[in-house]
Amino acid sequence: MASASRTNQEYSALTIAATRIGFLILLLALWWLASINVARNIIPSPLATYHAAGRLFSEGRLQQGLLDSVTVYLSGYGIAILIAIPLGVAMGAFNLFGRTLEIYVYALSATPRVAFIPLIIVLLGLGIEAKVFIVMLGAVMPILINTYAGVRQADPELIEMARSVGAGRLRIFSRIVIPGAIPYVIVGLRLGATIGLINTVVAELYTAVSGLGGLLAIYGNTFRMAEYFVIVLCLAAIGVVVTESLRIIENRLGRWRD
Amino acid sequence: MTPLAAGTPIEHAGTANTAARAPQLVFDHVNKAFGRSDGSSALALADVSLSIDDHKFVAVIGPSGCGKTTLLRIANGLIAPDSGTVSVKGRPPVPGPDTGFVFQGFRLIPWATVLGNVEFALETLDLSASERRDRANTYLELVGLTRWATSYPGQLSGGMKQRVALARALAGEPQMLLMDEPFASLDAQTRELMQIELLHIWNRRKPTVLFVTHSVDEALLLADTVVLMSTGRILEVIDVPLARPRQLDAARSDQDFITLRNHLWNRIRDLVLTDPASAFFGRELNQ
Repeated sequence: MASASRTNQEYSALTIAATRIGFLILLLALWWLASINVARNIIPSPLATYHAAGRLFSEGRLQQGLLDSVTVYLSGYGIAILIAIPLGVAMGAFNLFGRTLEIYVYALSATPRVAFIPLIIVLLGLGIEAKVFIVMLGAVMPILINTYAGVRQADPELIEMARSVGAGRLRIFSRIVIPGAIPYVIVGLRLGATIGLINTVVAELYTAVSGLGGLLAIYGNTFRMAEYFVIVLCLAAIGVVVTESLRIIENRLGRWRD
Repeated sequence: MTPLAAGTPIEHAGTANTAARAPQLVFDHVNKAFGRSDGSSALALADVSLSIDDHKFVAVIGPSGCGKTTLLRIANGLIAPDSGTVSVKGRPPVPGPDTGFVFQGFRLIPWATVLGNVEFALETLDLSASERRDRANTYLELVGLTRWATSYPGQLSGGMKQRVALARALAGEPQMLLMDEPFASLDAQTRELMQIELLHIWNRRKPTVLFVTHSVDEALLLADTVVLMSTGRILEVIDVPLARPRQLDAARSDQDFITLRNHLWNRIRDLVLTDPASAFFGRELNQ
């Protein structure tokens, strides 16, 4: 019992925060060690990166890049959500509709969507429309597939219970099927958020160079590694903020799960 | 109570003007088969005829897969028979709050609170939100769960979950209560307490109860009438002569109880031993 409780012990938030900060310090130390040991300044020191961030910020390039990227990212992701959730729900609700479309959805999701970039450029040009479309195309599939799966896996025993108390189709759908699908939808949203961010960078590299992806290309190609590191950290921060927000929403909706 | 042997014709199955005097629940030559994945079909009910009067507590007993659950689902109107007729108060059954259904697996909505689960069953009734809440609270109090109204099902023990399910089934103040092995997943102690609690609650309004169980003791303790089923057929309908209120330990030493119990036990054991689909088919287990 004693050993079991030691291995499964819940540590306090303060302890976890302290160990996380400790690990961050360790990472910075390793980074710094790497920066002085790897030849030809390929890895910038943490301090050089900090100074580069200050420079980029005072020039306004960082803010502009961030704004451009976030605009493309959130627009594409938002449109993906608006398309994928209603379509996934409709596919799950109407069996024939779902079974007809699913094979095409799976086929499209198995195709590397970057393959469509040349076509998208021909159709939509190199501007923001093309970029938003590329992000949307990446994010839409996991949300759609998970929403569809979530609606389809609705618990038949709960549905029969609802029928036995006289609930109609609409009430069964809104009170049993949709709430039951939410955990799946959230998984889809999380996968979509990650793929959307990747596609944001891809779009900015392949179409008109702009945003953080554009800065990444510029600094990477000119070996300005300190600036390059700033952009990488910035992209990581966006990813963390979005997935953490989704985790908070998930915890809110899943309060019953304890 | 007019227990009918399988195949007995029923004269009084329902016209509207006899509805008031019609028995609560009537099965008339009901057949039901389910398709199997290999294309064949399995007979769940074969020519079942049964009539249950108002305020009666009827237990249905028999080996696994003998069609007991199908009987309940047809009685609730969740599924329709292939042939024959079923009537509740002279009309075809319609699922709704007039009939309470208690399932073996509780079937509580995990993301709704205990109170929310009970209220869910009341939404088809013409009640205001506050009336609905009061009603749900009344029945939570009846099963002793007032303190847990804002908890989620995941936080409750098995016995408490089944009490929520019982409150949900009772809250619509149904004429008829259908119970599908409701206590089968509970431990022996909780099960006995739930049986006593169920009898207390049943005594208040006396809805007609159709109670499916595997347990001979449970059937004899609870029911006015025990229906023995096997492979979709009703084999025997037995009135239980024990006086109420019944107590399990007192009943166990009652001569009628012992006779009935032995009789049912032997019947069920023979059914299991002679059923080719049973795991005990052909075993020499006669004492």
